[in-house]
Amino acid sequence: MKEFMTGNHAVARAVRLCRTPLIAAYPITPQTPIYEKLSEWEASGELKGIMMRTESEHSAMAACIAASLTGVRTFTATSSQGIALMHEMLHFAAGCRVPVVMANVNRLLAAPWGFWADQLDSLSQRDTGWIQLYCENGQESLDTVIQAYKIAEQVYLPVMLSLEAFFVSHFMEVVDLPEQERVDRFLPPIDLPHKFDIDKPGFLVPVVSSELYRKYKHMAQISVDSVKEIAVRVDQEFKKEFGRGYGIIEPVMLDDAEVVIVTAGSITSTARLAIKDLRKQGNKIGLLKLRLFRPFPVEAVRVALRGKKKIAVIDRNISLGCGGIFCQELRAALVHSPDHPLTYSYIAGIGGTDVTPEVIQKIALDVMSKNEPTDAPIWVMEDY
Amino acid sequence: MDIKYDFSSEFAIPISYGSSEVIETGKWGFEKPETAFMTAPCQETCPAGNAIPQFLYLAGEGRSKEALEAILKENPFPGVCGRVCFHPCENNCHRGQYDEVVSISAMERYIFDVTSNHHPDIHPISNADSKQVAVVGSGPAGLSAAYFLRLLGYRVTLFEARKELGGVMRWGIPEYRLPKSILKEEIERILQLSIDVKTGEKVGKEIPFEELDRFNAVFLSSGTGLSLSLGIEGEDLKKVWRGGDILDRINSGDKPRIGKEIIVIGGGNTAMDVARSALRLGSRVIVAYRRTRAEMPAIEDEIREAEEEGVRFEFLLLPVKISVLKNRRIRVKFQRMRLRGWDQSNRHKAIPIKGEFLTLEADGLIKAVGEGVDLSWIPETLSKNSLINVNSSLTTSNPKIFAGGDAIDQPRTIVTAIASGKKAAISIDLYLRGCTSEDVFSKIRVGNKGALSMEAYLSGRNGGNWSELKEVISYPQLNTLYFEHSKRVEMSKLNRNKALKGFSEVNLGLTSDEAGISASRCFSCGTCNYCYNCYFFCPEGLISLDPLHQTKTVDLDHCKGCGTCAKVCPRYVVLMKELS
Repeated sequence: MKEFMTGNHAVARAVRLCRTPLIAAYPITPQTPIYEKLSEWEASGELKGIMMRTESEHSAMAACIAASLTGVRTFTATSSQGIALMHEMLHFAAGCRVPVVMANVNRLLAAPWGFWADQLDSLSQRDTGWIQLYCENGQESLDTVIQAYKIAEQVYLPVMLSLEAFFVSHFMEVVDLPEQERVDRFLPPIDLPHKFDIDKPGFLVPVVSSELYRKYKHMAQISVDSVKEIAVRVDQEFKKEFGRGYGIIEPVMLDDAEVVIVTAGSITSTARLAIKDLRKQGNKIGLLKLRLFRPFPVEAVRVALRGKKKIAVIDRNISLGCGGIFCQELRAALVHSPDHPLTYSYIAGIGGTDVTPEVIQKIALDVMSKNEPTDAPIWVMEDY
Repeated sequence: MDIKYDFSSEFAIPISYGSSEVIETGKWGFEKPETAFMTAPCQETCPAGNAIPQFLYLAGEGRSKEALEAILKENPFPGVCGRVCFHPCENNCHRGQYDEVVSISAMERYIFDVTSNHHPDIHPISNADSKQVAVVGSGPAGLSAAYFLRLLGYRVTLFEARKELGGVMRWGIPEYRLPKSILKEEIERILQLSIDVKTGEKVGKEIPFEELDRFNAVFLSSGTGLSLSLGIEGEDLKKVWRGGDILDRINSGDKPRIGKEIIVIGGGNTAMDVARSALRLGSRVIVAYRRTRAEMPAIEDEIREAEEEGVRFEFLLLPVKISVLKNRRIRVKFQRMRLRGWDQSNRHKAIPIKGEFLTLEADGLIKAVGEGVDLSWIPETLSKNSLINVNSSLTTSNPKIFAGGDAIDQPRTIVTAIASGKKAAISIDLYLRGCTSEDVFSKIRVGNKGALSMEAYLSGRNGGNWSELKEVISYPQLNTLYFEHSKRVEMSKLNRNKALKGFSEVNLGLTSDEAGISASRCFSCGTCNYCYNCYFFCPEGLISLDPLHQTKTVDLDHCKGCGTCAKVCPRYVVLMKELS
């Protein structure tokens, strides 16, 4: 069944389809419609779970962690300052190995204050041990929530999916809603291991020795790495059930491409259009969409970009003092490839500025004209 | 701690099934909370040093018997004081700075009323040598001295010239303010401590003063006894009465015929009592006072009630001559006065307006311009300035004779008389034990206004281990964020028509609901009332409270000294003390 809806409502719908019994959240623009929709359904009885209204995002995550340890599926949604406040608990979630699923609506971080799309909020949480997926549109956001539970519950690690403020969260698109029976088949009800058991009281996160800390971290690293394979498998199963798949990365017209535009999130769909036009003009150009960010799909990226001459990574984020974060990751992934391509970092769309097909074409022409490597990020401004 | 390290799968996390109590986190702190009670301003201002926050707390919890016993530690007259005390405590209630003061007096009365027939758990301490003390006069000072001397273990003989005990409470205060049955109950409770009572014989008359020599110590509390005269022409006329005499007659069951229209001279409590009694005898009453309403020495409540009941007030009038008319009515000539300057007691002085007079006619006149002390029966060496002369420990020039109440130089109120009885009992105890040189009073003071604590005295008396003095709490020390605004609760009253038909008690007391509200309005300044704020806010859950035994414990092995409990205490009872 197809419905016209926003990305936020697509996420809410997915949470309902996954029969999540415990949702704990705190409202924040531009995530609030997810919170409101789930509250509405809780009131009407359409949501079979509890919508817990906490006093902060920090508490929301603490509630999700605790609930997950009692064996139930949990969900939260946040954005920007909310995820920043949640930071401490994000480490706890990963360290406690709880399969919490969170939707983060990418919004810039203050200061200065603003509400616009920017990926820095979720990318700042890169090292918390969460699995991270970036969504291109509402449909993908919905599908990714369902996939996220399936991944999380296999590795006992929390999963965060990100969709950009307004471009995805508030734009309305036609979304194909999966049927409940098929979601139930793909994602059966689960009883997670009960770490909290009233018949056997105990407490988690006791003090451990240095060696033990290292041991648990090492085990977690192995688990996170395994997600590269698990995410691919889950996506394939999803495609089999629902007819849609995304991969952990998506190569677009890459086979004969010499120059590759790399994107993550909503800029990808604009880039798809720009590439077509550039191709028509006779440019050997392709597109690589990054969907899985943590763990970073090093091997997949390396294979996809083998033999390419130049890469332009478009980042709607900036790690001040370095450059675009996706670009850094990509450069690191390619460093062991023989004759690896020249990789350029383009900063575009920061603070919600619009990245039009024309902007992407300009970037493409610019990268095609370059022959020397450039370390510094290249800012794409109006007068560029 | 029993920590389970599970490496069975890479999803494992460490879990402990033991308790983290073994970690003594209390060792990390630099400060520890200490519960330190302070003196509330009401308590300081009460001449008897009544533990007001404590008895209000107990009453609010429905523990009225314990509340009564808390009062009886410092004051044997809750039923009397709850009715007729001028309650200075209420003038200093911190709640007055927040909204409206707590109805302390009405609560004291309530506690007495609901515990009627209860035998309080109060006993004399054992005192082996058990010396004998004589108390002369059974007003509030004498009865209080007898009560506290008995609690201190002495054998007490109480001498009373009248046939019944009670002094001014029995003969001076009208029934509609203090029913005789209430007084009787209070006196019976005191006499149950076994006090030898001799009534109907006056010391200095039937009993020679020298008879007191056989006692180890003597307390004189004979009150006033003399009506002051106006010193004007016509004062001795037939229809001119003394206020004290009229009240005495009414309180003896008599209904004196005073006429349809009466003039009362004076502005004190006796004048008000006489005026209101006259209304009840069917008279119309004019009170003539030489200053204005603001200077009247009577209790504000009494003035207001007199006004409400229909007493007419004429101010700035000084009687200069009384004469009889042919129709047997009397005529009073008044000098008109005006206020100018201040006297020694900081009251406005009234001076005559030259040539301006007013004449009033009435069926009779009652003078209530104050009382003098009858000193005719005591050795001259004991008196000075028409009063019995005592030093700060209430000792007369004779070291074994002490005095208190209205006969000495102190405000003439019931509660100051009670306070002097208590102080004298302590002085006598110190004298009989040969401890007069020790400065005990400063160690048992309640605040800085002269009130003393008998409880503190009893606890330190034997070993000299005096409990730590509690400072008086100031308003800014309270954390008023935890209080809600509310209205003061007033007692309901007999309606005016009913009240004036006889001498039934006017104030009807509080209902149990009203008392509950009234008690809960107390901020309990400086005294823990088990509000549980510290308990709820302690992040570590280390505080245990036991309201029943009124104890509080903090698990100091685990208290990190965060100070939250001190911050959230509304009444400044928890203080953080630095560890040495």
